[in-house]
Amino acid sequence: MTKPDPRPYSQYVNMQEGWIDRRIFHDRDIYEAELEQIFARCWLFVAHESQIPAAGDFLTTYMGEDAVIVSRRKDGGIGVFLNSCPHRGNRVCFADAGNARQFVCNYHGWSFGNDGSLLGMHEEYVYKEDPAFDKSKHGLVNARVEVWKGLVFATFADDAPGLKDYLGAFAWYLDMMLDTDEGGTEFVPGGVRNIVNCNWKFPAENFHGDAYHVGWTHMAGSIAYGGAPFKADQNASFQMTAQGHGWESGYDGADMRGLGSQAIARYVTQQRPAIERRLGPERAKMIGAIASVSMFPNFSFLPGINTFRVWQPKGPDKTEIWAWALVNKNAPDEVKQDIRRFAMRSFSPSGMLEMDDGENWESATRANKGVVTRRQKLFYGMNRLAANGPPNYPGRVRQGQMGDNNQMAMYQRWADLMDAKCWADVPNRDTQKAAE
Amino acid sequence: MATPSIELIHEVEQFLYREARLLDAEQFEAWLEMLTEDIHYWMPSIQNRYRRDKSPAYTQNSMALFDEDMKSLQLRIKRFNTGVAWPEDPPTRHCHVITNIEVALTDKPDEYRVYSAFVNHRSRTEQDEDMLIGRREDILRRTDGALKLARRKIITTQSTILSKNLSVFL
Repeated sequence: MTKPDPRPYSQYVNMQEGWIDRRIFHDRDIYEAELEQIFARCWLFVAHESQIPAAGDFLTTYMGEDAVIVSRRKDGGIGVFLNSCPHRGNRVCFADAGNARQFVCNYHGWSFGNDGSLLGMHEEYVYKEDPAFDKSKHGLVNARVEVWKGLVFATFADDAPGLKDYLGAFAWYLDMMLDTDEGGTEFVPGGVRNIVNCNWKFPAENFHGDAYHVGWTHMAGSIAYGGAPFKADQNASFQMTAQGHGWESGYDGADMRGLGSQAIARYVTQQRPAIERRLGPERAKMIGAIASVSMFPNFSFLPGINTFRVWQPKGPDKTEIWAWALVNKNAPDEVKQDIRRFAMRSFSPSGMLEMDDGENWESATRANKGVVTRRQKLFYGMNRLAANGPPNYPGRVRQGQMGDNNQMAMYQRWADLMDAKCWADVPNRDTQKAAE
Repeated sequence: MATPSIELIHEVEQFLYREARLLDAEQFEAWLEMLTEDIHYWMPSIQNRYRRDKSPAYTQNSMALFDEDMKSLQLRIKRFNTGVAWPEDPPTRHCHVITNIEVALTDKPDEYRVYSAFVNHRSRTEQDEDMLIGRREDILRRTDGALKLARRKIITTQSTILSKNLSVFL
């Protein structure tokens, strides 16, 4: 029996009625199509520049399930190429990070420069006996690379739009993380990884816009930290979507970063006037608010807590969480250390807030093994009728941070990409132009 | 350096076994009583690096899985005791197995360096199962006659934690 064609993917996302077909959270064929249509085509976060400052510095990561090396070349540029030898396919680098002039495959000693080019191999003379052999044709496959204010992105799609267009209006908001200080940002050294047996889209949509879960899922952590469960103010908050990316935030001027430590509280108070001059009042009053952000498809962060993470897909029911902490380069060391601890103590496998999430996402994924269970569509209609949000914010903005509008925009982008044969076929759902 | 007495080794072993039992039984207030006020409870996150690499697999200032003081540990217990810590309800079943205990004297007469290995097995609801195995390096300090834990460094064998959370003390 041949399996039915899962296309078109738009049938799983109903924007009018607000539901999602559960098949997209467990079906192996749909997952395989995601690797092709989404992860091999989108701009994916691969590194912060500060992780590879010197020539020869490298780190290894994944673009979808493709293992890649991110490397600082001799010319100062950044190369991103497949971590798989074109001879027999073995990995050419097994370290998470380091500094190397070349990457040598353990299998037959093929060696590659930090631009991915093939430099030589063990017993090279045997190959040289063949006049048709051309070393330049056997390098590691390079991706397109662009850097946005310290963040390094890569894509394997030649026809993908440039990163600036890919970000759209989202870029205006990104400044609140990446451009509050003239010195720029850096990642705290090292990272944290753990495995959650869930579909990658559950954590991604959660960061796209799910302020709704905070007050309930994280009730225990909120009470311990702040004395009371988190309460969203729908009248002083919004959900914004642009190019399938999502940003939900309060804008009542409340700043929760002081929960991290007194040193952080002093630092943010001292920085505030300069940030207002630099970014203007609209963005300044959002900084430090309860907010969550996801850049399509799998790069997310929390403003205020400064945890940055990638949801690495490892199968329809398995996700690896890779997490880092972002700090201003010019911040005092004490502040950097306190932000590192605050991010780790709240959002990491041991985090007093993140600890609550894994089980929800695992259980939401596992439930779909039930054939009757999976027939029922999931309801994504919260705050569907929301008014447009404040007009001075770019992107598609809806009033209230509790709602499903951002999540649905993510799934619309998902369906658009899954059904599109090429980037030119992907519709632009943003009517509002990105602010310069 | 002199070798520790059999009595001291026995006392340290009993201390670590009691600690493990309190953690298994979720008696966290009693557990906090076993720690000094200046406790540093630390579980660095490990990076895989080549042997030739001079950079260490972790430092004091790199990302960690735990980097706690008394205040932050108390906050964790407070969270657990709110009655709304959903991922611990129904409760997790823990078993801490502590072994390979070695005691060394230090240049401070009231402090001992203690090495141990642990297996933490936990299971909850129907089939959830997680196992963490690793080593610990502790400093125990004698305060008013009783031993207390002043420093703990925890190194597990996993560089990627193969669990959905670390809702556990090791």
